Amino acid sequence: MRHRKSLPSPLCLCVCLFWLAGCSISPLARNTAEFSSAASLVVDNTQNAYRKAVRINEDAQASLLVARFDTDHPMDPHSIRPLIDQKGLETRTKVLDGLRTYAQTIADLASGVSSPKLDEAATACGSNLKSLGDALASSTSIGINVTSAEANATSTALKALGDFLVNRQIKSSVPKIIKDMDPTVEALAKLLISDIDILRDQSGRDYEQILAQEDGFIRHAGSSLSPIERRSEIQRLPRILASEKATDDMLADLKDSIKKLAETHHALAAAAASKDSSSLHARIADLRASAEQLADFYDSLPDSSK
Amino acid sequence: MAAAKSSQKKKTAAAPAPDAVAVPEPQPVTAPALPPAFSNPDTVETYKALYDILGRAYWEASDLNAKDTIQGARDSLYEILTDLNRAKLEANTALFQSLKTKIRDSNKALDEIKDKINNITKNISTASNVIAAITKVVSIAPTLL
Repeated sequence: MRHRKSLPSPLCLCVCLFWLAGCSISPLARNTAEFSSAASLVVDNTQNAYRKAVRINEDAQASLLVARFDTDHPMDPHSIRPLIDQKGLETRTKVLDGLRTYAQTIADLASGVSSPKLDEAATACGSNLKSLGDALASSTSIGINVTSAEANATSTALKALGDFLVNRQIKSSVPKIIKDMDPTVEALAKLLISDIDILRDQSGRDYEQILAQEDGFIRHAGSSLSPIERRSEIQRLPRILASEKATDDMLADLKDSIKKLAETHHALAAAAASKDSSSLHARIADLRASAEQLADFYDSLPDSSK
Repeated sequence: MAAAKSSQKKKTAAAPAPDAVAVPEPQPVTAPALPPAFSNPDTVETYKALYDILGRAYWEASDLNAKDTIQGARDSLYEILTDLNRAKLEANTALFQSLKTKIRDSNKALDEIKDKINNITKNISTASNVIAAITKVVSIAPTLL
C-alpha cells in the first residue's frame, strides 16, 4: 500500500498568503489610477491650450499683415513668428507627456501591471506540479499523489506569494518616488501657470487686434462690399468678442485645474506615506470634475474658434 | 498713409524702451537672459495700460482717420508686448527643460521597479519550468532502467 504524503493544508496556505499580500495596497492602486486619469485630462487640455493660443496669435499677425498690405510700409510676411517656437512647443509637449507617463506608470505599478503574467506562471506551476505527481506515481514507488485540488491550491498560493512579493516591492518604492516627485510636480504646476498667465494676456490682445482690424477693414471697404457681404463681416465682430471671452474662460479654468493637479499630487504623496486618503478622494473628485468640464467645453467649441 | 502714421507712432511708442535698457538687473540663474524691459515691470504695465486706453479711444472715435492713427499706435504697442510675451515664454522653455530631466529620472526609477516586478514573475515561471523538466525526466526514467 502506498503511503500518501500530505502537503501543507492548501486552504491554510492560501488564507495566510492572501492576508500577507498587502491589503493596504488597494487604496494606493485606486488613488493612483484616479490621479492618472485626471492628470491625463489636464495634460490634454494644456496641450490644446498651447495650440489654440499659438493659432490665435498667428491669426492676429495675419490680420496685421492684411491691414498694412496696401500701405507705404507693408509688413514683411517673413516677420511673422510663432508665439512659441517649435523647440518651445516640443519641450512643453515632452514634459507634459512625461507627466502623463509618470502618472500612468504609478497607476500601473500600484494595480499590479504584471498580474496576467503572474497568473499564467502560477497556473503553469500548479499544473506542472500535478503532472510531476502523476509521473512519480506511475513511474516510481514513491508514494506522492498530487490531486487537482491540491495543484490548484498550489497555483493559488503561488499567485498570492507573487502578489505579496510584488506588493512589497511597490510599497517599499512607489510611495518614495511619489514623495520625491512632489516638488517637481509643484514646480511644473507653477511653470505651467506662468505660461497660462502669459497666454491669457497675449490672447486677449490678439483678439482685440483681430477685432479692430476687422472693424477697420469693414470701414475702409465701404461700399465696395455688397450689402450682404457687409452684413456678414459686421456680424463677425460679436463672434470675435465671444471667442475672446470663451478662450479667456478656458485658460482661467485650466489654470485652476493645474493648481488642483499639484494639490492632488501633494495629497497623493501624503496618502501614500500614511494610510489616510479621505481628503485625497475629495481632491481627486474635484480635479477630475474640473478637467472634464474643461475638456467638454473645449470639445463644444466650434472649429473656427479652437 | 495709415502705415506712415503707424510707423511714426511706432517710434513714439517704442521710445521708453531705451530707458529700461539703462537699468539692467541681475537675471535669474536658471533662465536665460530676458529683454531689458523685463527689469522694470512698471514699464510693461504702462504699455499694457496705454494699449487698453487706445483701444477705448479707437471705439469712441467716429472719424476713420482718427481710428487709423489710434490703431497704428496700438499695432506698435501690440508688437512690443507680443515680443515681450514671446521672450517670457522662451525663458520658461529653459525652465521646462530642467524639469524634463527630473521627470525622465523619475520615470526611469519607475521602469526599474517594473523590471524588479517582472523578475518576480520570471522566478515563478522558472520554478514552473523546473518542475516541468523534472516531470519529463521522471516520465522517461522507467524506460532507462
